[in-house]
Amino acid sequence: MANHADIKMMTPLTKVFIGIFGFGCVLIIYRLLFGLGAVTNLNDLWPWGLWISFDVLGGVAMAAGGFLIAGTVYILNWKKYKVIVRPAILNAFFGYALAATSITLDIGRPFVIWHPIVMWQINSIMFIVAIHVVLYTSTLATESSPMFFEKFGMQKAYRFVNKIMVPIVIFGVLLSVLHQSSLGAVFLITPSKLSPLWYSSNLPTWFLVSAIMLGLNMVSFETIISSRAFKHKAPKEVLFGLARGSLIVTGVYLAAKIYDVVRLGAIGLAFNGSFTSNMYLLEMVVGVILPIALLSQKPVRTNIDRIFVVNILVMLGVVLNRLNVGMFGLADYISKTGIDYFPSFFEFAVTAAMVAAAVLGFKICAKYLNLFPETGH
Amino acid sequence: MKMNDLDVFRELLGGVSRRDFLKYFTIMASSMGLPLGVGAKMAEAVTNPKRPSVIWLSAQECTGCTESLLRATHPTLDHLILDLISLDYHETLSTPAGHQAEEARQKAIRDNKGKFVLVVDGSIPVKDGGVYCMIGGKPVLQIVKETAPQAGAIIAIGSCASWGGVPSADPNPTGATPVHEILKGTPVVNIPGCPASPYNFLSTVLYYLTFKKLPELDDQGRPKFAYGRLIHENCERRPHFDAGRFAVAFGDDNHRQGYCLYKLGCKGPETYNNCPSILYGDVGSGSWPVGTGHPCFGCSEKGVGFTAPLHALANIKYLTPNTFFTEAYPGKPETTSNIKALGAATAGVVIGAAGAAMLVGLGKKGNDTEEENKEG
Amino acid sequence: MSLNRRDFLKSVAAASGGLLLSKATPSAATMSKELPPEAVGILYDATLCIGCKSCMVNCKVENSKPGGALYTKGMQEPTYEYTNERIWDAPPDLSGKTLNIIKVYMNGNGEVKDRPENGYSFLKQHCLHCISPACASVCPVGALVKDPVNGIVHYNADRCIGCRYCMIGCPFRIPRFEWNSAWPEIRKCQLCRHRMQEGKYAACCEFCPTGASIFGKVVDLRKEAQRRLELKEGSESDFPLQTVDSTNKRTRKVSQYVKHVYGLNEAGGTQYLLLSGVPFDLLGFSPKVTDAHLPDLTWAYIAKIPAVIVGVIVVGTATWAITSRREQNKKDKRE
Repeated sequence: MANHADIKMMTPLTKVFIGIFGFGCVLIIYRLLFGLGAVTNLNDLWPWGLWISFDVLGGVAMAAGGFLIAGTVYILNWKKYKVIVRPAILNAFFGYALAATSITLDIGRPFVIWHPIVMWQINSIMFIVAIHVVLYTSTLATESSPMFFEKFGMQKAYRFVNKIMVPIVIFGVLLSVLHQSSLGAVFLITPSKLSPLWYSSNLPTWFLVSAIMLGLNMVSFETIISSRAFKHKAPKEVLFGLARGSLIVTGVYLAAKIYDVVRLGAIGLAFNGSFTSNMYLLEMVVGVILPIALLSQKPVRTNIDRIFVVNILVMLGVVLNRLNVGMFGLADYISKTGIDYFPSFFEFAVTAAMVAAAVLGFKICAKYLNLFPETGH
Repeated sequence: MKMNDLDVFRELLGGVSRRDFLKYFTIMASSMGLPLGVGAKMAEAVTNPKRPSVIWLSAQECTGCTESLLRATHPTLDHLILDLISLDYHETLSTPAGHQAEEARQKAIRDNKGKFVLVVDGSIPVKDGGVYCMIGGKPVLQIVKETAPQAGAIIAIGSCASWGGVPSADPNPTGATPVHEILKGTPVVNIPGCPASPYNFLSTVLYYLTFKKLPELDDQGRPKFAYGRLIHENCERRPHFDAGRFAVAFGDDNHRQGYCLYKLGCKGPETYNNCPSILYGDVGSGSWPVGTGHPCFGCSEKGVGFTAPLHALANIKYLTPNTFFTEAYPGKPETTSNIKALGAATAGVVIGAAGAAMLVGLGKKGNDTEEENKEG
Repeated sequence: MSLNRRDFLKSVAAASGGLLLSKATPSAATMSKELPPEAVGILYDATLCIGCKSCMVNCKVENSKPGGALYTKGMQEPTYEYTNERIWDAPPDLSGKTLNIIKVYMNGNGEVKDRPENGYSFLKQHCLHCISPACASVCPVGALVKDPVNGIVHYNADRCIGCRYCMIGCPFRIPRFEWNSAWPEIRKCQLCRHRMQEGKYAACCEFCPTGASIFGKVVDLRKEAQRRLELKEGSESDFPLQTVDSTNKRTRKVSQYVKHVYGLNEAGGTQYLLLSGVPFDLLGFSPKVTDAHLPDLTWAYIAKIPAVIVGVIVVGTATWAITSRREQNKKDKRE
């Protein structure tokens, strides 16, 4: 079980990904040598851009599947989901690695990224975020470690980690709940800047709930993808279960969001035809309303192809939500100063490199580790 | 214009070259912002054998305006004044004196009725029947009132005549009054300044002679060509003002370096005049108050010169915020284009991907379910 | 559940159980909402400002000296932003090189000063030194700190990681970043803190020729601002130059004021106060900036964290205990 011979390493797509990643590495060195201004189009009025919105906010949200499945399996003891616990955690690990690398590149002084660990400033959400990234990335590494210990035959360590797995998972769930919500809380300080369509005192809660939405769909998505790519049968009971869970969470999210927008009196803004309102409607229709409409029909809920469609819709919707909060929701405010932002080619390239690295890393793990222990390999 | 007329006239001037002669009028025309060809037209107007009559009345004045006029040196101005125009009455410059002079005035008024140019120099005292300035036994108030209706044009030269000047300074013991207030209803051209720049005066006279009408005036009767802009706007030290570099005391480092004199009380920001453009007295560059390192004291501006303390800070009247000021808050209502494009592109990707997924994924007629169910 | 900061620190310390060695700054934990006792600030009266930019020039010169907010070791000249011809410093906006800028509001033909229609007004933009500064509250490493005595919000580059959260948090768009540096700093007005140690005060006030910017204790500045609002338009009054308690005064006609002192209550109050003849939203102060203390908004979230920690651990453990016992029972039955 050391090597999955049926997973081909050097497919053309992989080569493209390696190319993207290599180019990204060159850019990263350039960024470290010459500063952010040399690589990005960020400016004093757009201090955060694509990297924060997509790589960090989006990447972390995409990683939510890890704590959900781990919690389901180890705390709720729903053993059905055990087949996907390893890929889900590994996926979360790569999501966080992507976010952590991106934020390291995005901050002005990457070499002192460790400062928050020793210089506490407990009023700061960013401090909370930083501590969580560090703790949770290590937690995810621990949660994934059995695979490595297995691979390298370290029986003692393997048994030890398995023994302490439950507390670690509880810790992981705790960190995730805090971390997902604190990314929303980051924007609590911007009442005068962020559009009222997104700004709410409940922003942390919405970030948590939408991350759960995305996490469930992400796990489902990649289970289907890997069952096809690595040619094993999809565990359909698991997928149907995830779809049911997704329907419930998405329904709750929709009701709560509508209530919140009405409560804040911002409902009119959603339909005034402006740029902001269009982005908001697109996010809600693609990520929430369509998925609910589809999932509420049993034939969709019990059809893997259709579940796959819903997975894609929710992923697009929630990532768009993160882009909206991080960039487009601020556009009205910043536009008034006349200062503009469009990510530079390099920002896109580095983002692409991050995604490529995550996909490649996942693939390597799939090939060399026992990622799907109960699918017959 | 016939060339020989000009030549004849040139002879009259006593050796002024033809070139200098035309040059003089060309400079005159350009200082008023008129086209170059007008210079020749002006030359023609003044070479007209019948020289236009000018009557210069002096009221409460110091003769400073006359003195500075005499020192206008675009070729030998004294010749021009005496020979090109017919200066029929001027208390300082006339050869006749006493009753003879008064007679000359009367005759000139009679002969040139409705055509002569009346120049008033100095403010008119009105208190106690105008007894504070009597000429030939008559109050100047009365002389001005009698002469004005018969004049073709009236020019008040100097700050005293234009708005009261020094004699009207608090407590104004003589009731010194500007000419335009004495002659309410009659158009009066004001050429303020203490003394008035001779070229602002000469340009106005020549304009009148050439076009038979007055130049364009502002709401205070000042020719716009000369008083259209604040001194501050054309000042050679303006860049220092814009850059915030000020002399703080006379003789300090900044003063020596020629920095802005605003903090020393320069009234340039509230005084309308063309001093920085045409300078003063024809003695070369820098020959105007600010050029020599002294703040403008606003001699030509009503309510500033002789009124505001010499070193008090000026109230900036109208600023032309230059390109080096950023708009405080553009407050643009529309979303900027790049972020909009990014949003549109993102929306395109989202709609495209979602649409494609739905078309492909939902298009299949549920075969999968059945298959899976069978297998299951 | 909400906590005060002291309790929070205690519970965090207990929860982390010595897991991490912390160097929490005590001042960060006691973020005050009160005006510091010796708070100093600036009163800017736009009706007195003539747009000469003397404050900008001297701000740059003075802050480029050792200790200044623009100073970096080995700098040759102040951080000028030249026009192409290298004629003079003409910054278009606040930036990593400019801490203070005079901007202009213009409407219509722009003829009359301090009038919103067909008028113009100046604006001096720099840090407002909030009484509860959002930038300091959001800084993850305490690089931006409010001085507990004089209230100056200042910056410590040695702590900064360059995350730019302060720029997101500031409701007035003040902190700026050195984009073109590989080791960048956040730059903002620090109220000439380095000059105060020499017994001087803010350069912009010292060099203002008209008394548009005056330096002083915030309590005095507030009184002065109120006094000016109570003056009758068109009457004459004395306006101090340089400092609020200066004996050097200038007599001047009182302009029309918007009857409001900006910074008295906005964002919880600021130490930079503004008076203007033009409504403040036209000068770029968003009407969405309320009088609420911004750090409260994030604190509302942070205060709940201990409850979440306890809740998740208790609920998680309990759930696990129940479900695993049930699982065990199932197994036992099967056997």
